[in-house]
Amino acid sequence: MRLELRWSDVQDMAASTVTRLSGRRLEVDLDALGVLLAADTRLTGLRLDLVHPGERCRIGRVFDVIAPRARLDGEDFPGVLGAVARAGDGRTLALSGVAVVVTDQQMDGVGTLAVIDMAGPTAALSAFGASHNLVLSAWPAPGTGRSEYLAAVRLAGLKAAVHLARAARDVEPDRVEVFALPPSPRVPAELGHLPRVAYVFQIHSHQRPTGLDEGILYGDPVRRMLPTVVHPNEVLDGAVLRGFMGRSVTTWATQNHPVIRALYARHGRTLWFAGVVVTVAQATEPERLRSAFLTAGLVAHTLGADGAIFTKIGGGAPHVDMAQAASHCEKLGVRTTLLVEDMSTDGSADGMLLFDFPSVDALVNVGSSHEPLTLPPMDRVVGADDLAPRLLGETPATYGTLCGAIEQVGATRVMAEVR
Amino acid sequence: MTTRVVCFVNQFFGQLGGEERAGLGPQAMDGAVGAARAVQQALGEAGTVVATVVCGDNYAAEHPERAVAELVGLIGAAKPDLVVAGPAFLAGRYGVVCGALCAAVQAQLNVPAVTGMHAENPGVELHRRQVHILRTGAEATRMLEEVRRLVALGLKLVRGEAVGTPAVEGSFPRGVTRNVVAAESAADRAAAMLLDKLAGRPFTSEVPRPAFPSVPAARLVKTLEGATIALVTDGGLVPRGNPDGIEALNATRYGAYSIEGKTSLDAAQYDNPHRGYDTSWVKQDPHRLVPVDVARELEQSGAIGKLHETVYSTVGVATTLAHSARMGKEIADKLREAGVDAVILTST
Repeated sequence: MRLELRWSDVQDMAASTVTRLSGRRLEVDLDALGVLLAADTRLTGLRLDLVHPGERCRIGRVFDVIAPRARLDGEDFPGVLGAVARAGDGRTLALSGVAVVVTDQQMDGVGTLAVIDMAGPTAALSAFGASHNLVLSAWPAPGTGRSEYLAAVRLAGLKAAVHLARAARDVEPDRVEVFALPPSPRVPAELGHLPRVAYVFQIHSHQRPTGLDEGILYGDPVRRMLPTVVHPNEVLDGAVLRGFMGRSVTTWATQNHPVIRALYARHGRTLWFAGVVVTVAQATEPERLRSAFLTAGLVAHTLGADGAIFTKIGGGAPHVDMAQAASHCEKLGVRTTLLVEDMSTDGSADGMLLFDFPSVDALVNVGSSHEPLTLPPMDRVVGADDLAPRLLGETPATYGTLCGAIEQVGATRVMAEVR
Repeated sequence: MTTRVVCFVNQFFGQLGGEERAGLGPQAMDGAVGAARAVQQALGEAGTVVATVVCGDNYAAEHPERAVAELVGLIGAAKPDLVVAGPAFLAGRYGVVCGALCAAVQAQLNVPAVTGMHAENPGVELHRRQVHILRTGAEATRMLEEVRRLVALGLKLVRGEAVGTPAVEGSFPRGVTRNVVAAESAADRAAAMLLDKLAGRPFTSEVPRPAFPSVPAARLVKTLEGATIALVTDGGLVPRGNPDGIEALNATRYGAYSIEGKTSLDAAQYDNPHRGYDTSWVKQDPHRLVPVDVARELEQSGAIGKLHETVYSTVGVATTLAHSARMGKEIADKLREAGVDAVILTST
């Protein structure tokens, strides 16, 4: 599998009468895009706003963030937007410096809001405070249920992401990033000494049941999914989307997956990237146990890995599920490192972890989402009109409120330090 | 404005005498006395030791609460900006009162307080969570240098300056976490850590192993036929309307719910606020979490002596260790008082 991400760097984005990439400036025909997206009868009142880095603007009610991508040799976001087909091979257009932000207008209360700040210290904590963002807001049409609504706004976000990236169709990319990984066992003899490293990617947690239209892996709502091996390029190229209740992981982070990038960066030099196992966090003990040993079996016996990195999605149960799978890997002689969130809710180091497996001793943390944070005052609120009076001023919040500050897949540099 | 500092020392470092004067009660003296002179020297122009308060080691050990209360009173009267206690080195009685006094000064006078002691001083484990305690040697051989670091740390607290990590300050970890921005992404750090682990090189985990104490299972001293059994859960079952307002996560409350006269639970009368798992199956049939139906059958058939008529329930998700331990103890006390012999604890 060989994936080419053909990057165009965008430094400005503006509304226009035609959608095109003019040098480093992305011009967007918002009216035409609005018409395209509003064709979904499940939605009403669709609105598109442009916000820019440095602008004293707060985006509220963020549901998900999607990186603009358009595939030249296959289906876009297969199984959800495009037809079901394999992703990860061929050329894909990508825009840097631009993101599509999808809001959820049924999200309640300021406390549970996911917020993006475009200026000030809180903007610096999130990648989305530094990108030009197309903010998509829409309301459910009468008769549209909760899950249908979320499926519809996410689909609109994916369509917008493809639409924007297609503007780069006729221009030469600024750079081409190549992800090429041969079938796992084919290691050249001279690189046979490198440790083989796998990545175990928990893509959903069954703490909440998925809706039928909640496509997560190639459009599948992963309800009965057992651990499965995929090629890392499939993850980068739109095969995996965030579920509707994912906490502290965006689709954007999955499309730019930091662990997959970290392993590719070291592949053939200090390690051999052996492959990716996708898993879901299970709801009951027999399911968790079955998933844990099947994961360990794929990592140790199928991929033949010497080491594995684990990440999780969601809260406490996924945290324990991940550790249990890692512990099974260690039993099979596979050394593990886990990315964990600081699970303490009162800032005490005693509560950081919810497990204690002696062999699972190499832990990296992605910070505490409970730590208080003050959002500075802004001039404009987008995506949460009715909450604007409250959200404009200085707002008490937590790191978990700030979309993109804590990404459980390890995209950011925020970490909880024990003092 | 110069910083007003009050020092606390024991009778020995206050130059009032050795073990024979250890029964001495708290007293205040003007200016820097005994070991407090090292604090004044370290402060230089930055501050003035306005008073030295002294207490004998035995007095402090025998009347700990009274000693601390009296010392806080003496210290408060001197209106300090900073309190420096010790250093206590390996002196156990001295270390314990230094830690307790600093914690009380911070809590009651809202004045920063620092102390120093050796790693094996019992005062470290008792008070490191509330107080900045600097690492010192076992004896006073390097006292001036250690006092300099102590004063530097104290002045940072007074000025509201950022305090470094325990490694940088040479202090004991307080066991609190704070978000910082690292040099590399978590993904890159994980890859580097894994390569170190694979190569057998030393690596430092970013999360300490939890110190969950092991709890030996209690032995049932009766046969089940004669035992009273209670049902307890952290799975969040509550009567409809959640009368105790048990939180959906991060719970601080639990409920006690009567099942007197009930042979089963009617799903329509119960609810579940728990946000940590898919509660739809429990809402459909509460016995999946709290098996009153089967327990009543066992009671009827004589397999167990009696089913306790109160069910205890809380929500176990993102609950702090402190609240978990407190609620567990309170529930256990009530069960024991009610003569319950054993518990079926259902978790999710």
